[in-house]
Amino acid sequence: MTGHLLAAGDPLFDHGLNFLVILIVIIKVLVVFGALMTAVMLMIWFERKVISDMQARIGPNRAGPYGLLQSLADGIKLFFKEDLIPDRADRFVFKLAPYLSILPAFLAFAIVPVGHPVTIGGHHFDLQLADPPVGILFLLAMSSISVYGVMLAGWSSGSKYPLLGAVRASAQMISYEAALGLSVVTVVLASGTLSTARLVADQSHIFLASWNMVRLGVVPFAIFFIAVTAETNRPPFDMVEADTELVGGFVTEYSSIRFALFFMAEFMNTITMSAVVVTLFLGGPDGPTPHIYLLQEIVPVLWFVGKTLAFLFVAVWLRGALPRLRYDQLMDLGWKVLIPVSLGWLLLVASVMAWHWWALAVLAGLVLVGVGLGRGFRVGALRQDDAAAAPQPEVTR
Amino acid sequence: MEDYLPIFVLLVLGILFASLSFVGSALLAPRKKPTSAKLAPYECGIIPDREPPQRFPVRFYLVAMIFIIFDIEIVFLYPFAVIYRQFLGAFGLVEVLVFAGVVLVSFVYLVSNGALSWGPARHLRPAQPERTSASTISRVGSGPGSGADRAA
Repeated sequence: MTGHLLAAGDPLFDHGLNFLVILIVIIKVLVVFGALMTAVMLMIWFERKVISDMQARIGPNRAGPYGLLQSLADGIKLFFKEDLIPDRADRFVFKLAPYLSILPAFLAFAIVPVGHPVTIGGHHFDLQLADPPVGILFLLAMSSISVYGVMLAGWSSGSKYPLLGAVRASAQMISYEAALGLSVVTVVLASGTLSTARLVADQSHIFLASWNMVRLGVVPFAIFFIAVTAETNRPPFDMVEADTELVGGFVTEYSSIRFALFFMAEFMNTITMSAVVVTLFLGGPDGPTPHIYLLQEIVPVLWFVGKTLAFLFVAVWLRGALPRLRYDQLMDLGWKVLIPVSLGWLLLVASVMAWHWWALAVLAGLVLVGVGLGRGFRVGALRQDDAAAAPQPEVTR
Repeated sequence: MEDYLPIFVLLVLGILFASLSFVGSALLAPRKKPTSAKLAPYECGIIPDREPPQRFPVRFYLVAMIFIIFDIEIVFLYPFAVIYRQFLGAFGLVEVLVFAGVVLVSFVYLVSNGALSWGPARHLRPAQPERTSASTISRVGSGPGSGADRAA
């Protein structure tokens, strides 16, 4: 186990590339692809079913047992729908945007370790698609690229509502990306690595106690979870598609399969991000495992799936329980709470790791900064009120 | 570099999937020529008479610029975080405290300028003095010029 902790990358490639290795890679990719597709299909069903239970409805129950095939039926239906490109649209970007939305959603899952390494036919390999040494950065890059999908989709539609949705969305997503990045730095600080496989290995010493959620305090975990919810445009942060004010947000002009791709990307992002929360903060596939042949490979995967399912349920639960935030509340939460708190917590963790007395000094400094920030927020709000009270210039159209 | 091979294969598969969906949709979707009303921007049935806005509140741009500050900070924090436990120790801590301090001071300056205040004004704007309830509401049956007067 420790030998593996030091090894960089997937042990599959230790002996160079040959036909069998490439075959294993292709099989792994196909399995992940199929699993993701099925998971998206089931997730859409799960969300609709759980939401309808929460609202005392029955929900989908016609297509297949318990309506399980409903999302498949919807997908097939969308293939048969007219594919419109509006007059005003920038045709190239309009067609490009769905790719930019769905590809990062696919790729981000590649770095999630699903189980502990296994050996099949003399080949020792990770139960994860890829373990690049900068896995976390890859994840952040993918979540940045998905902003382009949303932004370009709204801009290229040449229509009001998508444009408004896209501008809001890009401001929201970059705001929460800062909080997201800062909360992950704390994890990296504790483990000293950017590779997800090693992050998981680092968390699997003691059940529960060595998970990052517990040993770093709950704060980075909470911030990461909130930021991820906002980053994937899930309710209560679904300002992007605020259907009561923006019709359909950035997808208003999209129809047919293009719309389906955006829809799939959203659910795939939800699944991937739940899996990433589990990987970064809940030890991934870590959990009590019987050391019996075959079971010791399967049970960690079940742990991983179980934890991810719990987060998926929470995501649906949030949608069922919370009203949508107002846009200014959303930005205030991101900039004035999550970012300063995650930065402060990062410094605190760093100082605790260096020397305990440092922690006290840093804590005192942070309290001072906090007071300064609070004062700053109040002054800022007053300034804005003054600006609002000033005589407004005549608006000419 | 082999570590990125599966990611590349997945990328190719993803592009194939998206492209084949478009091909499938092109084959299966109805191929009639859409009317001009269908191709117009969607505005809930109202015929669009104004261009989509070219200009946006300056706050959106401010947010993007402030984001760059924090993004750069994150860029510097990651290498620090990776080698902190093994190599840096107290020296690294002091360095990062100074760095974070500089960023936080500029952040305090920004927010006290109101750069991130999105909310509605908490103090109401003074009402226009020339418009009172006496000047805007015409009351029936009282004073000269009222409806009752004119009828008589």
